[in-house]
Amino acid sequence: MRIAAFDEGKIGVVAGDETVVDITDLVEDFEPLGPDDVLPDLITHFGQLEPELERRAAAGGGVPLGEARLQSPLTRPSKIICLMGNYREGTDRPLQILDLFFKSPEAIAGPGGTVVLPPHQAAIFHHEGEIAVVIGREAKDLSPEEAMDAVFGYVAFNDISARGLGREGINSFLGKSFDTFALFGPWIVTKDEIPDPQTLHVTVDVNGERRQDYSTSDMERPIPELLTYISSVTTLRPGDVICCGTNHQGLGSVQDGDVVTTSVSGIGSFDVTVQDEHERAWARGVDREAGARVIAAAQHPVAGAAGGSGA
Amino acid sequence: MRLVLTRDDRIGVARGGGMVDVSGAFDDIRYRTGADRMPRVLAALAERRGRVEELAASGATELMPALQAPVPRPPKLIAAFGNYREGSDRERQTQDMFLESPDSVIGPGGTVVLPNHPATIFHHEAELALVIGRRSKDLPADERAIAALAGYSCAIDVSARGMGRIGPSRIGKSFDTFTPLGPAIVTPDEVPDAQNLRVTLSVNGEMRQDYTTSDMEYGVPEILAFISAYMTLAPGDVILCGTNHQGLGALQDGDRVEMSIEGIGDLAVSVNDPQRREWPRGIDAEMAARQ
Repeated sequence: MRIAAFDEGKIGVVAGDETVVDITDLVEDFEPLGPDDVLPDLITHFGQLEPELERRAAAGGGVPLGEARLQSPLTRPSKIICLMGNYREGTDRPLQILDLFFKSPEAIAGPGGTVVLPPHQAAIFHHEGEIAVVIGREAKDLSPEEAMDAVFGYVAFNDISARGLGREGINSFLGKSFDTFALFGPWIVTKDEIPDPQTLHVTVDVNGERRQDYSTSDMERPIPELLTYISSVTTLRPGDVICCGTNHQGLGSVQDGDVVTTSVSGIGSFDVTVQDEHERAWARGVDREAGARVIAAAQHPVAGAAGGSGA
Repeated sequence: MRLVLTRDDRIGVARGGGMVDVSGAFDDIRYRTGADRMPRVLAALAERRGRVEELAASGATELMPALQAPVPRPPKLIAAFGNYREGSDRERQTQDMFLESPDSVIGPGGTVVLPNHPATIFHHEAELALVIGRRSKDLPADERAIAALAGYSCAIDVSARGMGRIGPSRIGKSFDTFTPLGPAIVTPDEVPDAQNLRVTLSVNGEMRQDYTTSDMEYGVPEILAFISAYMTLAPGDVILCGTNHQGLGALQDGDRVEMSIEGIGDLAVSVNDPQRREWPRGIDAEMAARQ
């Protein structure tokens, strides 16, 4: 099932005939505390709601997708957790130490939204297309076997990143937490529709030019392992978002006027535009230097991890 | 005013050694738990201040009940990287901050549980905490920024070292129970100078950290201006101002940790380590020298 937000705060199910059927009234029964709680409430009560959602979607009467103004289904998740470099990127390096950072949950922008570049003197602003997992229930200390039970669904995500800000040698990742830097959409696809999330295709296009193009089969640590580890650190909640990292081979700049299309096969695709009131310009196309730098910097192997040449 | 949240989700104002229940000022604000109640209460506090004070003055004082953290689950938990000169005369470092898991917060009398992860050591970091009171973006780096605050509190940024890839690990500071916070939110009118507060932390009665907020590299208004240039701040967000690393030490099973900020409050928690690991006691001089 595809769960979407559209037309200023309505919640809908995207039906097979590519219309979106309004089901806002069903979630309102749970009396969400505020607009940010509507989707988490739907996720929490999804088991109970599912038959009626199916029935409504089958009954039709929805708005054609082309006429609906889609928005990000989650407006402010309780956490956005991002994996640091979690793809092999064509190397045969040993398994890297798992590391992550938290991205501001205030940063969400959705389909048709605008990435606003701040006046900060960043070296460049990059796109990072990713697959993200939406958590379905409160979870702590998940075993590998039960990890996928905690998943509600998946979205396409773009982790917009300002480079070169902050204190040297620390990498605070704060340059990823500007408002509007967490692109989330086009809807949440429930996990039953994605039999294998490790064989999906992630692409990012800028003004129609292909930049990123990779498979989730290249992930160093697959989703169940990520969930097991992260839930050993922090309690996960319905609507928490876990971004699985990007393949940096294909990163490029985003700048004023750009249309950025983020797409994951089996999930969907959405566009945002970029606005920079300073109209700064960077080289267009793929930033190969950035890709090479990431591979060179990947020198944090897990003790005893088997690898290839270790280049 | 000192605002507290009881374990049964009531809002109180501290008076003498006790508390007056002022929940009545917020009865129309729907909530499910104390965790989602407090950000909404803080958002409404400025306009309802008169009513809250009325209730605090006229209500009966009860013995101080068991408390939760004044914000049990902040919308955002933000921490400043090393923000004290620590006796050096160095140039100010580039300002920087990061986000921690907001699910790491516990309250007064809580228990820090050391996880079964191979950290090299678990440190305490006593810090002045800022609690946001209204939605704010692009605050000025002067006294006007203080208007964005609901108030101040005490926090311990418990830190597992030796985790992750680069620099101070976000994972190591984000374990559940790793951010004791409280006991109260002290409104800015009760804190005439936030840059002149003594911060102390002792473990089992032995003094470890003892420093003053006058040594901060970037003061409270500069912290608020910096972070609000990145992200919209929301009521209930908590910002940790950084610690002075001269005086850090190990936390281990059975420890009793007491921290205090002059004029703000006293916060005590205990430590539980199911693995019963041991580290040298006392101040970690090696860590202090690294800063």
